[in-house]
Amino acid sequence: MIRSIVTALLLAFAAVISTTVAAGEKPAATLYKNPQCGCCEGYAEYLRANGYSVDVKPTHELTPMSRAAGIPDDFQGCHLTYIDNYVVSGHVPVETVNRLLSERPAIKGITLPGMPMGSPGMNGVKQGPFTIYTIGSDQPTVYATE
Amino acid sequence: MNYKIAPEFTRRFFLKSSSIALAGGFTGAFAWDDVQAAAIKTFRLRAGMSPVALIPDAAVKTNAWCFDGTVPGPEIRVRQGERLRVAVENALDEETTVHWHGIRLPNPMDGVPHLTQPPISPGSAFTYEFDTLDAGTFWYHPHQRSFEQVGRGLYGPLIVEEQTPIRVDRDLTWILDDWRLARDGQISGDFGNMHDMSHNGRIGNTVTINGRVPETFSVRRGERIRLRLINAANARIFGIDFDKHKPVIIAIDGQPVAPHVPQDELIVLGPAMRIDVVIDMVGDVSQRFTLTDPFYRGLKYRLVDLVYADTPLRDRVPDWDMQLPANPLAEPDLNDAERHDVIFNGGMMGGMVMQELGGSMGHELMGAMGSMRGMMHSGKIWFINGVAAEGHIMEPMLRLVHGRSHIVSMTNATAWHHPIHFHGHSFRVLSRNGNPTAHKEWQDTVLMAPKERIEIAFVADNPGDWMFHCHILEHQAAGMMGVIRVTQPGERT
Repeated sequence: MIRSIVTALLLAFAAVISTTVAAGEKPAATLYKNPQCGCCEGYAEYLRANGYSVDVKPTHELTPMSRAAGIPDDFQGCHLTYIDNYVVSGHVPVETVNRLLSERPAIKGITLPGMPMGSPGMNGVKQGPFTIYTIGSDQPTVYATE
Repeated sequence: MNYKIAPEFTRRFFLKSSSIALAGGFTGAFAWDDVQAAAIKTFRLRAGMSPVALIPDAAVKTNAWCFDGTVPGPEIRVRQGERLRVAVENALDEETTVHWHGIRLPNPMDGVPHLTQPPISPGSAFTYEFDTLDAGTFWYHPHQRSFEQVGRGLYGPLIVEEQTPIRVDRDLTWILDDWRLARDGQISGDFGNMHDMSHNGRIGNTVTINGRVPETFSVRRGERIRLRLINAANARIFGIDFDKHKPVIIAIDGQPVAPHVPQDELIVLGPAMRIDVVIDMVGDVSQRFTLTDPFYRGLKYRLVDLVYADTPLRDRVPDWDMQLPANPLAEPDLNDAERHDVIFNGGMMGGMVMQELGGSMGHELMGAMGSMRGMMHSGKIWFINGVAAEGHIMEPMLRLVHGRSHIVSMTNATAWHHPIHFHGHSFRVLSRNGNPTAHKEWQDTVLMAPKERIEIAFVADNPGDWMFHCHILEHQAAGMMGVIRVTQPGERT
């Protein structure tokens, strides 16, 4: 019973949010990146190919920004994307981003630490599963494994 | 042949040795032992903590670590050939040293903790003393935990004037730095964090010239200024656009170069580099120009405004000679040089670059790198010839025969820039990516672009164990550092 109320509330909340976005469109994203890092551009292209409009902004402030977003240093991705009141750090696969934006959990966002080979926007061959963590609590917990 | 500065040191003697160096016949050894100086200039520096006024808000003082309570530390200025004696007192809460960046001196005076001296403990002092062989623009800074000590403001200029300087109206030093300040104007304490270490170092949000966020700089029409630019930042590369003014480079890293205007008229300084420029003030009275720094794409900013006075100094720019007299550097013999290869790798996207460069990197190095994330968690992020340094004491990566000429071919197999600094020597930059350089410039810190290959040459004429490292101080701290040994005269490797 309680769960269904929560779900209903979340759905209602999501409905309010989505009124700002036309049907079928993805919300606008702003991606902050190191000015000299090439593969963050690759991730922006990947998001665009998956329907997001992405504004890329170079910055020297990624560490302070990541810390302000509540991401412990060891869990930082190499760039920060703000989408629809969530922060997505690093090369997170779009399936997980879509899930985040549809489920809308009460967290600040998600992070894929580092720059794993074979992740979206990165070259190379995937070396193993990508572990994506939640941001917002004191200690990140696993949000998804891809 | 011995080179020494004798008590009867005269300008004539000096010119003679310079011309020998230019003729390529100077390949001898320094004899430090029997050096006696005609003049000793004595200074005292105290490393400590002090509030300083970096930003225009007069109510905010930033708590810095600095020499003699100021950022930058006091300008040490001597005349070429004078002997310098500097007593350094440590009023910090941690050990320190002072490295005299770029100036050739005896190994025990080089200021590298453990390698050339015991670190100066809190409350202790150490006296550095050496002759100034070369005229030029140099600087001083700690070599102990430099990524934090330099980052918090411990640095200052060391200027060695030529016996006969070129004629200018003003001879000025601009020591550039950037700071990562929090909203309260205090230095952000996130030194050595993983992002900075594995990407392009700690780049700040506040740029200062001589320890102040600059607003305007007053000049006069017709004025000629020699501007000694020093990059004291941990990691920021400066690229200065002088607007309508054409900057003429007359020296790089303290060493004279044929006067020339650089490509795109942009003055690019990697961390720890120095460039002396001559600028003629060609604007009109009362005009205003904005100096900008467009180096990082999309992050161009205003550095400072040049404001012309209402009255000119003169109506035409002067035609005075800009060529500086050569320093007494030994000319490497390229036909009889030993060759060495150095490969830098690691860092973010390092694996990708290694794959791109492919077979030329060799499987052994790839193997030595192992898994990137595993290494990063051990703090080893950057490698020179497959080795990441953990401290200043290490097996020499190269052993160079004293008195011989050496060519070092360096490959930057990373996705990032690296200003590579060699202690105790200046080297000629022979080529970049196989193309000969226009000026065969002498440098002590050469900025390598991602994937760039650079050849340098020098005579190994200064015996001792010398640091060879990236001067992005976070890269240095994360392994990008090695030791090059120059044998004692007569000793075999």
